[in-house]
Amino acid sequence: MHTTVTRRKLLHGAGVALGLPWLESLRAAPPARVGPQTKPLRMAALYMPNGVNVPNWTPKGTGRDYALSPTLEPLAGVKDQLLVLSNLWNANSKGGDGHYVKEAAILTCTTIKKTPGADIANGVSVDQLMARRVVGETPLPSLELGVTPVAIGVDAVVGYTRVYGSHIAWSTPTAPLARELNPRSVYERLFRAAAGPVGNAAKMDALLLDRVMDDARRMRSNVGAADKIRLDEYLSNMRSIEERVQRASAGSKRVWKARAPMSMDQAPPERPADHAEHTKLMMDMIAVAFQTDTTRVATFMFGNAVSNVSFRFLEGVTAGHHDVSHHQNDADKLRQYQLINRWHVAQYAYLAERLKSMKEGEGTVLDQSMILFASALSDGNKHDPHKLPILVAGGGGGRLATGQHLVFAEDEPLANLYVSMLDAFGAPVERFADSTGPLVGVLKA
Amino acid sequence: MRLFFALACAAAPLAAYDFEAARGFLGTYCKACHTGKTAVGGFVLERLGDAASLTREAGKWASAVRRVHAGEMPPKGSPAPALEAREEFARWAEGALRGAACAGGVGPGPAVTRRLNREEYANTIRDLFDIHLDLASGLPGDGAGGEGFDNAAETLFLSPLHAEKYMDMAKFVTDFAGREYKPRERIFVARPGAGVTQDQAARRIFETVLPRAFRRPVAADVVAQYVALFGAARRQGLDFQGAVLFALRSALVSPQFLFRVEPANRGAEAVALDPYALASRISYFLWASMPDEFLFDLAAAGRLQEPEVLRYVVRRMLRNDRSLGFAQSFTGQWLHTRELAGEKAPDAKLFPGYAADEELRGDIRFQPILFFREVLVRDLAVLSFLDSRHTIATSNLEKHFGLKLPLNNNARKQPQWVELPEGSNRGGLLGMPAVLAVASYPYRTSPVLRGAFILDAILGTPPPPPPPNVPALEEAHNGSAPRTMRERLAQHRANPACAGCHARIDGLGFALENYDVVGAWRDQESGKPVDTRGELADGAVFEGPAGLRKVLMDRKELFVRNLVSKMLGYALGRGLSLRDSCTVDRIVERLRANGYRAQTLVEEIVLSEPFRLQSAQAESGGRVKTAP
Repeated sequence: MHTTVTRRKLLHGAGVALGLPWLESLRAAPPARVGPQTKPLRMAALYMPNGVNVPNWTPKGTGRDYALSPTLEPLAGVKDQLLVLSNLWNANSKGGDGHYVKEAAILTCTTIKKTPGADIANGVSVDQLMARRVVGETPLPSLELGVTPVAIGVDAVVGYTRVYGSHIAWSTPTAPLARELNPRSVYERLFRAAAGPVGNAAKMDALLLDRVMDDARRMRSNVGAADKIRLDEYLSNMRSIEERVQRASAGSKRVWKARAPMSMDQAPPERPADHAEHTKLMMDMIAVAFQTDTTRVATFMFGNAVSNVSFRFLEGVTAGHHDVSHHQNDADKLRQYQLINRWHVAQYAYLAERLKSMKEGEGTVLDQSMILFASALSDGNKHDPHKLPILVAGGGGGRLATGQHLVFAEDEPLANLYVSMLDAFGAPVERFADSTGPLVGVLKA
Repeated sequence: MRLFFALACAAAPLAAYDFEAARGFLGTYCKACHTGKTAVGGFVLERLGDAASLTREAGKWASAVRRVHAGEMPPKGSPAPALEAREEFARWAEGALRGAACAGGVGPGPAVTRRLNREEYANTIRDLFDIHLDLASGLPGDGAGGEGFDNAAETLFLSPLHAEKYMDMAKFVTDFAGREYKPRERIFVARPGAGVTQDQAARRIFETVLPRAFRRPVAADVVAQYVALFGAARRQGLDFQGAVLFALRSALVSPQFLFRVEPANRGAEAVALDPYALASRISYFLWASMPDEFLFDLAAAGRLQEPEVLRYVVRRMLRNDRSLGFAQSFTGQWLHTRELAGEKAPDAKLFPGYAADEELRGDIRFQPILFFREVLVRDLAVLSFLDSRHTIATSNLEKHFGLKLPLNNNARKQPQWVELPEGSNRGGLLGMPAVLAVASYPYRTSPVLRGAFILDAILGTPPPPPPPNVPALEEAHNGSAPRTMRERLAQHRANPACAGCHARIDGLGFALENYDVVGAWRDQESGKPVDTRGELADGAVFEGPAGLRKVLMDRKELFVRNLVSKMLGYALGRGLSLRDSCTVDRIVERLRANGYRAQTLVEEIVLSEPFRLQSAQAESGGRVKTAP
């Protein structure tokens, strides 16, 4: 045991008030379940901006007896492991503006504070509640991914910072999580996290972290109250790296093992050729992360809120995403809108198929996953957060009653789905945001 | 706070409006829900009943103005005022609030500790170790807050991803520094040898490097801690150089490096900012990087608060190449041209010439940046941004413009300051392809986007958001669909819910229809002459880019005020408060008196109270974060 650990333990033991942020104290609590799962459960949330062409999205028929809609056709190969959920809505995302309020709340179900930045506030996202539940069980607590850079500026027309439109994962109400956009960097990160430190690297990292956290505590006493929060954020992140280093350097006592081999030979290129390849590579990264068990929680954004990525690479599409979503009932724009929606669903289907092809024991990684697909609007032309397009693929460890189109009473809270998913993940909650209970029919009786 | 876009177009003088008129407005439209004990949302009209409430309840007033102007209030279903009445109220209240806030005098904000954004990080490493690599692209991008810039303290979050990247980057940088001659010379100012122990040499190195890395003097006990770290690394088997680099690697992950620290003011009164904090404010404003030796020396000598010293420092720093960092960061975000490489990139199939020519793309991207810097360095009037006889050009741009320009024959490919021929239509920012492209869709031009861009980025008077739940426009059931852009937009404007604002937005944008998506000139579009008639809300008509430039020059006060607000917000790294608008007013006044010279603008910002001073900051527990 090296000196850093001893000293910190002594301080903790002596009950010295270090002013550690709440997240650190939270992490100190032992997990309810002991030991690694024989078959871990994973959750990924994929967010698509700008809503859907509703008539082409909604399947005909309900329950097990339903037919995939034109937009959902790419999911034919995983239909028996799919849940199509109709009529959910996100009450706390109504009003405000057409996009930021909706998008930022897709995993938090919380009304964001209208601000150019000074007092940014959202809720904690459902993926992060799951990540907290399994913290320490995998090398990375969660993976935040995207393909388009954080949107610049403040939207002066509606009065929101575009930070809101570029983040769906929030570890605290004031901490949006930065995303990795470069697929090769993701792979390198997964690879290194899985391989663990080489030689005396763990020891060196521990020395370094001890030094810089000491600097942070010293600085903390010298700055104003608001600035202390920034330093707490710093301390909490460094402390979680330190914990990772400690776990990794435990040597033979190391509990975690990669469930599939990784090799840098498989690393994707630095610069993907285009948007389509970029997106596909990110799907691959989620699949690799889940297969190897490097992390169990991932979020991915197909684009930022109000994304106007050009989809002219699709046959028959001549415009950008947001532009087309304001179809004004123009038949041609509606047609293009559907093609764009369908392309997104096809990427989602690709991920599901990849996970299905990955064997794990008797089953597949998809059996042990819950892959959410969500947009924060239904009809993009109306900026409507009612009747959201929501899908869940994967067996959820045998807990999900897949193979169905479930149609709920109008205005069933989206948060209820998250209550059910948290339950399936082994992180049950009484309530999540405006939930009124679990979403009936999602979990097997 | 910003002005309202009505001002941008309505040339008519303000009608007599006063406190009573505003009170009458609120009484008519808000009384039903916002009075007495049952007032909705804690917004109680009675509290706004006297003129003193403009100071006492400034926040409530500001929120009322914002919500009324945006059309959020009165809510759907209640009797609502016409757009003109809303704006009349908002315009008056905005001015009255500023007046009331300024009556209390100019006041600074608190000291702020902020993380370096990724450009600042990369530039600081460059200047610290003489390392010239693209480090910024290896770090996560930063979102923007405040006045719309990514150096705003409030939105510089630190995610787990940042923490990991800082660890990786520090290792990469110090490994690189150990291999390269120049960085090694910078770092190893001492070596162990005759009469010098390893610890002594390491201490000498840390005493030199750490104060520069942390951008302030470093106490002996902190140096000692880094010497101890060096010792620990030696015991792990690292040699002298490896152990020194390891300690420096730690320094690069330390919050003292990653954050710009401004010590809190625990007193009861506003005070001068700590000299080293001020040195950093100046250098990160004008260089987007760390202070140089000269600034450190002035800070150490306690001379940085002297106005003459500051004026000298500003001029000296603007002339330095590093001010390109400021130009790049500020203009790229002010004009949104940073997005040109991303979502706003013109479609490669439709604009193959643009897509295939990397040099042209680079020239287009750098034109507004270099133009901005030249205006500063040459101390020209900031009105040059609206109209100018000069621009930055290269042979590629000359060809793109279809002009004959007096380029330097020995360096035709180098960006250079050139005089434009008469009637070139390329003077000012709105003649630049980069600006025209980001205010377009990637595949077509849009008078709406360009009009909104002028209102927002140039005049600082963004249009209000579209009303919620605008009914979708139905396609015409009989007859052919509208063909031209103007016909389509005229249809859009036939809807009364849209017409009020779009009449003002689109009219400005049409004047730029002579420029295609990539800013090339066109007289015809799809075989028809381009229609560039612009129109203002008051019915005044103008034609094409030249007409638009005149319209904007007639409203130069709006533009100047917007530029001052943007730059002050950038310099302070935060959003401006009502009280800051007095500083803005004062700077606008000085600019007007001094021919709108660009260096006056920068000097006045650096000399302003909010930039040089810090308010009292009571020690408190801070915001409490709560678990869900």
